[in-house]
Amino acid sequence: MATREPETGWHGENSDVNHLRGRAFEATCLAATAFGLVSVMLLLLFVANDAFRPFSADAGWLATYAATVVVPLAALAVYYYRLDEPAGEVAYVTSGLPVVGLLLTGGFAVLFIELLSVLEWFALLISLVVAGGLIVAHGRLRPKAALERLGVVFLSPVITVFGLPPTRFNWFVTDAAAALGLDFGLYYRVISLREAIMLLPFVPTDWAMLLLTLVLPVAGAAGWFVKQRRESRRDGLAVVGMTTAVAVLGVVAGPLLGIGTDVWLLIVTFAVLPLGVYVEGVIRRGEGVCGLAFPVVAVLGVVVGGVVTGALGFAGPDPWLDWGFLTSATSRTAADAGIYPAMVGSVMMIIVIVLTTFPVGVGAAIYLEEYAPSQGLMGKFVTLIEINIGNLAGVPSVVYGLLGLALFIRVLQWPQGSIIVAGLAVGLLILPIVIISAQEAIRSVPDSFRQASYGMGATRWQTIRQVVLPEALPGILTGTILALGRAIGETAPLLMIGAAASVRLAPNSFFDVASMMPRQIFSWSSELDPSFRHGVLAAGVITLLAVLLVMNATAIVIRNRYQRTG
Amino acid sequence: MTENEMTSNDSTEPTPTTETAASSPDPSGDPLIEQSIDVEGTGDTAGETGEPVIESRDLNVFYGETQALQGIDLAIPEKQVTAMIGPSGCGKSTFLRCINRMNDLIDAARVEGDLYFEGKNVYDADVDPVALRRRIGMVFQHPNPFPKSIYDNVAYGLRIQDQTEDIDEKVETALKRAALWDEVKDQLDKSALDLSGGQQQRLCIARAIAVDPDVILMDEPASALDPIATSKIEDLIEELAEEFTVVIVTHNMQQAARISDKTAVFLTGGELVEFDDTDKIFENPESQRVEDYITGKFG
Ligand SMILES: Nc1ncnc2c1ncn2[C@@H]1O[C@H](COP(=O)(O)OP(=O)(O)O)[C@@H](O)[C@H]1O
Ligand SMILES: [Mg+2]
Repeated sequence: MATREPETGWHGENSDVNHLRGRAFEATCLAATAFGLVSVMLLLLFVANDAFRPFSADAGWLATYAATVVVPLAALAVYYYRLDEPAGEVAYVTSGLPVVGLLLTGGFAVLFIELLSVLEWFALLISLVVAGGLIVAHGRLRPKAALERLGVVFLSPVITVFGLPPTRFNWFVTDAAAALGLDFGLYYRVISLREAIMLLPFVPTDWAMLLLTLVLPVAGAAGWFVKQRRESRRDGLAVVGMTTAVAVLGVVAGPLLGIGTDVWLLIVTFAVLPLGVYVEGVIRRGEGVCGLAFPVVAVLGVVVGGVVTGALGFAGPDPWLDWGFLTSATSRTAADAGIYPAMVGSVMMIIVIVLTTFPVGVGAAIYLEEYAPSQGLMGKFVTLIEINIGNLAGVPSVVYGLLGLALFIRVLQWPQGSIIVAGLAVGLLILPIVIISAQEAIRSVPDSFRQASYGMGATRWQTIRQVVLPEALPGILTGTILALGRAIGETAPLLMIGAAASVRLAPNSFFDVASMMPRQIFSWSSELDPSFRHGVLAAGVITLLAVLLVMNATAIVIRNRYQRTG
Repeated sequence: MTENEMTSNDSTEPTPTTETAASSPDPSGDPLIEQSIDVEGTGDTAGETGEPVIESRDLNVFYGETQALQGIDLAIPEKQVTAMIGPSGCGKSTFLRCINRMNDLIDAARVEGDLYFEGKNVYDADVDPVALRRRIGMVFQHPNPFPKSIYDNVAYGLRIQDQTEDIDEKVETALKRAALWDEVKDQLDKSALDLSGGQQQRLCIARAIAVDPDVILMDEPASALDPIATSKIEDLIEELAEEFTVVIVTHNMQQAARISDKTAVFLTGGELVEFDDTDKIFENPESQRVEDYITGKFG
């Protein structure tokens, strides 16, 4: 064994340790990451350039807006970053909230235009509330009757929303009524509360119904939240009162300004209310107040820029992605083409997915985590199932499309390319992802909470309902939203189940044949006219990405909001 | 029918067992001898010795193939503090979990033998462990309040038992008995997770006693706390023994000596070596192994 030279060792030039390999490895990893990121960014830049075509504008126009919007905002951003971090967050939230709020407003507006009348919405909601009330009342009156409660929980929504199918009893009632010369229009079945409300000869005006079923509940929830946060009942009531006042004011003043009352109520609910509560909180806390300048500067900049370019006669750009694109159907000419029906199709497909996949997936996850045995033969079987759920998550989407085609169209004979079929096929596709992420969330609830609950003499159901689910819910929601993001961009299953290549009219029933955003984008890609392939396609891709971005941002916000510390 | 027999037998049975055990040199038979001696004798705690509420007979517990408890015979008196001491891994927690059947939740665990609570074998087929646990509260080693408000934590047991009346009063009483009321009365809506470790543990005790159980099981309730919080918990336990039967696991011998009336010493391998009045165990134990353990020669 050679003795060490005294001068080689742990310091100076002659250090024994060789770092070269490690450094080289680090550099390679960095290069790989950078390459991946940069190529995706470049692609997105190209697509965005095609969609917005900023360079079709006059140089003067660009310079004006650079001076009024970009430079001041950049300066503010640098200021926040360097000197006032809390203000940076305030700026971020106050700019983001209205955007999300307006998107939600748009979503609900589409809902009311395409799917439901306000009256239908009102009737549906009232029926659901009555059903909930029945369930709660039963719980109060007969807390011990568990089996009965199960019946009530299932039957009340069915009766209030769907009514009862024909039975001998109904025949008797209807026949008896007919014999007396009365016709309730029952047609041998008991109509639901929902249908009864829609038959009422006098209904409140649309805005009153919206105020009752949308503005007030949301304001109430916000008020409750504020009350909890500040431990002040007065503040909570103030939120509800102010919101209602602003809403009613808008209803009165709206027509003068040319804003539809319905739209105004939606804006109040989804944009004005959250923004107001947040801004008030910021001012009260007095921290990061400077951040409020950001959105103000942005709006001012746009207004000033508009005035200046108008006065000097600079022409703006002619983007593919504009208001017309978002609100019109596709067309034979690229300039008129839009994505609206496909967007409605995508949203309705997501509704189908949420209503079916979410309960099934979360239910399966709860069973696997909380109930399924882990020992013995059954335990092995459960492990097998879990492994196969993992495998299913990796099955190519085309295969799910094939499954949808075989199951829903060939066997169940549902209309080819209809929204329900698309939703179910894509729902099956993301089901394993939903199950796995929900399992993950449930597993991350510390076992000590379960121990505490069981130790108190709680049943398994009580433990799951009161302890596990509330803790796991943020994680479940995050995972589900991310899975929905995957769902909204899936194309192959839509091709397999025959979703329409392009439609002119937005669907208004779940059994309508429709197109969805990715399907529509795919058909644009094979148009002969190059402006479809370059311009319209890019606009569609950016729209789809924007929707995805909003969904992912929501998931991240939920995750951060409820992240446990420690 | 069988249960009736058992119940009626229960009061008479300890005596014959004592006699058979007396003739055998097996130390695990000791507890019942000690108890009967104690009842007759003039030990300084003799006046307090209550009826046994919990009694185990030849209790064996297995985790898969390995045996964690070996033929435990033990009778825990009412409204006293019974301590279980012994080195880590000797089965103290396992025994505690047998009493309220928390072992049911561990798939690998298998219990053989009998454990009587108020004369009824809790491992009988007609016993609902959920109902049993409503009579036997439990406090764990690490404070584990729910991530809910302080109020909701204490009210949890009441709510799951559908006791919806006077919740406010019962919460207040429980917090007062747990010596926590003065510290939290103005912040009942605050999250329980914002409390300090010692406060959290007292909250867990309040949560356990809010439903007014008969027995409270505590598994090293102070081992994760600092000395001041520990002494508060110890004071509390002594007070609780006026109304509840308290069974406490600890590996801190001074703690057992300070607060308990009876002490059971478990040693490695899951056997109960000696069970007697605490004073006797610490001053003059029968078994050499117990003496070695208590004087710190091993363990
Ligand atoms: N859930 C479990 N699964 C398998 N073995 C266990 C489990 N819990 C405890 N054991 C084993 O049982 C023995 C007794 O454990 P425990 O009752 O926790 O001891 P103590 O509380 O006295 O430290 C130990 O050897 C331990 O490894
Ligand atoms: Mg232990």
